[in-house]
Amino acid sequence: MWKVLARSSGATELNDFYPIRPECQADAPAPRFKPRAGKTLSQRRWNSSFDAEGHLNIAKVLRRIQRGGVHPSIKGEVWEFLLGCYDPNSTFDERTELKNRRRGQYDMWKAECQRMVPMIGSGKFITTPLIDEDGQPIDKSLIGVQPSNKKVLQWMQVLHQIGLDVNRTDRALVFYESEANQAKLWDVLSVYAWLDDDIGYVQGMNDICSPLIILIENEADSYWCFDRAMRRMRENFRTSASSMGVQSQLATLSQIMKTVDPKLHEHLEDLDGGEYLFAFRMLMVLFRREFSFAGTLYLWELIWGMEYNPNIFAKYEEPERAKANASPQTLSDKILKQYGKFERKNVKTGNAEESSALAVFVVASVLEIKHRRILNEAKGVDDVVQILGDITSNLDAKKACEEALKIQKKYLSKAQGKK
Amino acid sequence: MSLRRRTLLKVIVLGDSGVGKTSLMNQYVHKKFSQQYKATIGADFVTKELQIDDRLVTLQIWDTAGQERFQSLGVAFYRGADCCVLVYDVNIMRSFDTLDNWHEEFLKQANPSDPRKFPFILLGNKIDIDGGNSRVVSEKKAKDWCTSKGNIPYFETSAKEDYNVDAAFLCIAKTALANEHEQDIYFQGIPEAVTPENEQRGGCAC
Repeated sequence: MWKVLARSSGATELNDFYPIRPECQADAPAPRFKPRAGKTLSQRRWNSSFDAEGHLNIAKVLRRIQRGGVHPSIKGEVWEFLLGCYDPNSTFDERTELKNRRRGQYDMWKAECQRMVPMIGSGKFITTPLIDEDGQPIDKSLIGVQPSNKKVLQWMQVLHQIGLDVNRTDRALVFYESEANQAKLWDVLSVYAWLDDDIGYVQGMNDICSPLIILIENEADSYWCFDRAMRRMRENFRTSASSMGVQSQLATLSQIMKTVDPKLHEHLEDLDGGEYLFAFRMLMVLFRREFSFAGTLYLWELIWGMEYNPNIFAKYEEPERAKANASPQTLSDKILKQYGKFERKNVKTGNAEESSALAVFVVASVLEIKHRRILNEAKGVDDVVQILGDITSNLDAKKACEEALKIQKKYLSKAQGKK
Repeated sequence: MSLRRRTLLKVIVLGDSGVGKTSLMNQYVHKKFSQQYKATIGADFVTKELQIDDRLVTLQIWDTAGQERFQSLGVAFYRGADCCVLVYDVNIMRSFDTLDNWHEEFLKQANPSDPRKFPFILLGNKIDIDGGNSRVVSEKKAKDWCTSKGNIPYFETSAKEDYNVDAAFLCIAKTALANEHEQDIYFQGIPEAVTPENEQRGGCAC
């Protein structure tokens, strides 16, 4: 149904792409993203960026994406490239073949899950536990096989948690009024949890997955896109008895703030906020709670555009070969243009820290916007949370990213000066 | 230090995912209920000012994620708490069974000076569902649990219908305030008669 609406363009019908339930409209923050002619990547420009065989001129589209985002009518297919599902240097035929192979693969995985829990793929989902605390099935009719090992047991134990969260994911959107759409989200998260048992499912993954479910119609395709998104973010969701993965990004944030704004950092430390836990949610769900739905999509494509690395497809698809090719090649201007602005700077300066994603710098930029108020008014970490809370839905994604790039520049030059 | 210090009471709300922690808080502070809440990530808080006797206090209520995999954050978030509110869903046995775990985990991570005296309150939420026909945890069972934990005050609530929410949070505030007093007194080294044990009246004895 999204495709039908795509023909008209402009700002007014943005809500037609992601319609909000009438009773929720009063509470929904206004979308601050508007497609702009000459800035936003349009459908026409996108189509004209492929040659006859299907090779994509990624440098050309990156320029647009970083300037004004992606038109809602093509977000799904553009994101597949941004997230590394496909190689821009491949042909239409190669991509069709890969897509079909992946769909077959997903169907097999899903069938495997379905044999264990028949509810998967049924168009319905569960919100109450399948397994009691002693590891016994609560309702045998809901279980296809007795949980035979720890992996199966752990997976079955998390399925109702996914269901509880699906019930609470973007419910203001008309899209999730449909149980089938909710079940699609549940299925994808459940299959993911089965395959990535190291991470499984952690609250917040639903917020990352939901837009992909909406933007990409085919369930298998949205699964693969989610998988690629998780490659960037999965370390944030790693939990242990003593810490959560996202805390390593928070440590990087602390490092950045200490370097670029020591005064603010010191103040935060005095308030016992040096761990930057107040930024936990921003990083964990990539600002989904700070921006409107459409605003988040815009922010995400700016971030992924700026972080784009032309080796990303190979890194995920053929990690061995990618590693072999990783030895610094001579980076010609032509190749450098295939990098996003943020990644280009990292590559040039040899900065390869995994935990220094652009999102971390975006948080830093948000703190900088509130620099004065935090210094003058914050007398406790709770005040910091409150001051940052005021930005909700007032943030301009583009400005935040531009500011983040400036902070990155400052950080890299100061950090290098120290070496 | 005691001069003009704002009376800020920190309250932590814990319990299984989906029992209604966020809804209870929002009903209390914003007087509204929504079906569209999102799962809490990490922790979040709201504040509310209220008058208790002749004192103006700010209640800072910390909402937490229900998934147990967020528990490692407790050390950071529970620090300095004045009261802990445990919430379960009267229609879901499991959410009641895990109370022991939440109780124990809180004490372990918050590490209060006197764990036996640290104030807890229990809320049995969602009593409105199906006119009460789907409830699986009886009031008696919940009260027995409270007694076994040193006479924890107990309230049955409905965040949706705004039933008993104000009363519960008033009790929470009073309990937290009383605990704060004791701590102040403790730090100043002035002994004072311990308040007599709460008499259980299906609510707050403060």
